[in-house]
Amino acid sequence: MDNVDGTEHYNFKSNPDLPTLQVIIIDTNPVAWELLKQSSGLGFPDALSQILIFANAHLAFSLSNRAAVIANHLDGAHFLSPAPPGSDLTDPDEANLTPEQQKIVSQQKASQYRVFRILEDEVRASYRRLIKSTTVEDLEKNPNGSALSGALGLALTYINRVCFGGTGGRSGGAEEKVKINSAGGKVDDTGRMMHAKILIVSVTPDPAPQYISVMNGVFAAQRLKVPIDVCKLRESTVFLQQAADATGGVYMEPEHPKGLLQYLMMGFLPDQLARESIILPTKVDVDFRAACFCHKKVLDIGFVCSICLSIFCQPPEGAVCSTCGTKLDVSSLENIGKPVVAPPKKKKKKKVTDSLSESGVASAAQSPAPEG
Amino acid sequence: MSSQAMKGFEQLEGLPEAIFKRLYQQPATSLAIFRRMLPNLAKTFVMAMLFNPDPIPISTLEGWVHPDKNSLKEEAFAKLRQLHLVTERQGTFALDATFKTELTKALTGGGSPGSFGLPCDTDDKNKVDISFLDKYATEQWESILHFMVGNEVPSSRRPSEGVVRLLLHGKLMEQTRASSEAVITQLGFSFLLQEANAQVWTLLLLYLDMAEQLRMDPVDILHFLFLLGSLELGQDYDMKSLTPTQKGMLEDLRDYGIVYQRKSSSRRFYPTRLATALTSEIRATSSPSRSIQNAISHGDENGFLIVETNYRMYAYTNSPLQIAVLNLFARLISRFPNLVTARITRESIRQAIGKGITAEQIIDYMTVNAHPQLRKNTPVLPPTVVDQIRLWQIEGERMKATPGYLFKEFSTNSEFNAVCRYANDLGVLVWADQNKGNLFVSKHEQIADFIRKRAQPNR
Repeated sequence: MDNVDGTEHYNFKSNPDLPTLQVIIIDTNPVAWELLKQSSGLGFPDALSQILIFANAHLAFSLSNRAAVIANHLDGAHFLSPAPPGSDLTDPDEANLTPEQQKIVSQQKASQYRVFRILEDEVRASYRRLIKSTTVEDLEKNPNGSALSGALGLALTYINRVCFGGTGGRSGGAEEKVKINSAGGKVDDTGRMMHAKILIVSVTPDPAPQYISVMNGVFAAQRLKVPIDVCKLRESTVFLQQAADATGGVYMEPEHPKGLLQYLMMGFLPDQLARESIILPTKVDVDFRAACFCHKKVLDIGFVCSICLSIFCQPPEGAVCSTCGTKLDVSSLENIGKPVVAPPKKKKKKKVTDSLSESGVASAAQSPAPEG
Repeated sequence: MSSQAMKGFEQLEGLPEAIFKRLYQQPATSLAIFRRMLPNLAKTFVMAMLFNPDPIPISTLEGWVHPDKNSLKEEAFAKLRQLHLVTERQGTFALDATFKTELTKALTGGGSPGSFGLPCDTDDKNKVDISFLDKYATEQWESILHFMVGNEVPSSRRPSEGVVRLLLHGKLMEQTRASSEAVITQLGFSFLLQEANAQVWTLLLLYLDMAEQLRMDPVDILHFLFLLGSLELGQDYDMKSLTPTQKGMLEDLRDYGIVYQRKSSSRRFYPTRLATALTSEIRATSSPSRSIQNAISHGDENGFLIVETNYRMYAYTNSPLQIAVLNLFARLISRFPNLVTARITRESIRQAIGKGITAEQIIDYMTVNAHPQLRKNTPVLPPTVVDQIRLWQIEGERMKATPGYLFKEFSTNSEFNAVCRYANDLGVLVWADQNKGNLFVSKHEQIADFIRKRAQPNR
């Protein structure tokens, strides 16, 4: 009786429940998968099937949901689905089948929902082509190969195109708004047409040389409000922990990789809307330490290049930063660990002007023990 | 009946448990029900349970949800129970076994061949393309709409007997005593204002309702409707895998423009866009429903309606269907060969609302049919007009009647408070009086369950 003002009629939906784009980045490094199979019994074909079921479950949520799968391969990142335009979509194995076998295959396909079938066919066919093009030399040359930064870049550019119409999260001009309105799609105030999330299924160790580009990708995702979920099956990692933490994603290292599917369904499936109301499993104590670029050791204290902020566990060889090539002045490093003697004022002034473009020491906080 | 006919998809929720159990026997149906009838959180729960061999303790699920989102959680639980998707045993939830296997089949593709339609294995000599199917669906569907408003339609495109019987059955049209011709009812008018996807479902649910009287099996019909929603546009399908009931349905669905068959003896059929959009949810991006809207936008593809801030309306149309619809909520002033002018007034809107048309329907209709010139504005319609239409609707809603149930005479105050809190969490609490110990709720089943459960340990 007392709510006659009818204000509830004015509850315009400020945040329309947008559909979600799920981008899945899978490591396809055969060596790493073989090692995982030996240690836990989960081989790549099984894992791929489980990941595809996960993608299907995501697509089942809503007809407008979309999924993309990117392979993080030895030599670079490749789209598995959607297949790049102009690429050959036929399965390389299918041409060799007898007519009877082909009939069985087509009947099997008829038992599957078309959206799921398209995704699965694309992923499997592109994956076979990818593996066929990989030679033994590639493997031997680079057994820990990973193109994480490339895959992350592909994922983010695709998200930008699909979810923001290429505007990069800045709301479009007046003209663009009209276009979106007349197309009838819903948008929120940043011009976002879809939510997006990234899932990285990783089995390779951190690609240390890509530290900077990976971190740049992570910050771009953070700005686009795209959570990066990480399912780490092998080789604990520092970069990806930080990626998940910075973007509000889920980080999990399944204890039993064979039950991958259940981890995926429980931890990674909930979309933006469900995540608002669900307590997600995630690592509480995130390892914020960075890895040194020279020996890939995780450091508490290290040396930092003053130009590109690359991190080293010991002064680089020849006093040249291996990342940006800047010549560093390491002469002042000799004093580390020695008692602080207050230098004469004149000398200090000179030092400051000298070292403007030269190296500093990250461990300034480490105060040497005063000598009796 | 009158209000029931317009309820749309939610009507299905009231089906008896035995029917649901049989519905879940098909992967396509399980998938469609999962997608179309569950709230987001319930979908998340189902997925978490789907590949878990053991039942999940309810407390685990409860602990999974943020404490301040309790009402969402209860809504999800209530929906799962209502659709008989879960069985509760000793404080654990287990998914209905049939539903579990069939949804798993749908996700993994392990179903029997043809569970998502059996494509023809031979090529069609008279193959048709998607634009032909769109045109066919538009023509068929529009001829029904035109027939409803009493337009002259060429006899070749006059809807069949079956369609007319259906419209009469749903009271969308009625036969007056004066003439044998059927005339559109108020219910029919508000049907015309619905969005295309909703129109299709309204008609199909009426069909379901009528079919039950004809002793057709409702489960068979629903299976087929959900199957149609998962077919591929432009692909021809074999009738071989259909049951006799479903083969009989094809003929009716052809009349509505939902499927295309070259001739009735043909053993292949094509689903049209009306069919493939059946299981898309309206609330998500409107792309699928938008595409039917475009496919059957009343008349030309471009909008024709201009609304000004002074409540004047200019409609560039000569279609009697559109003019009749406009007449529902606006006062027509003058008519020219290609233009109708009208004015939105308080009386005209109140009249429309009196006929059971809502303000949202009117606003949606005007937005969908807005002239390209008007679409350059953001928002499309002048806000003052939109607000005023809403206000005119609210005017009539000073008193709100809520059907529901009164619980009274609780034994203790604490019990009253517990039930009150539970009802509030469920979102069904309408009114409560602490002093009198009375409480009024819109749904009673779960409250009764709750009270019974509380009573049991005391015994």
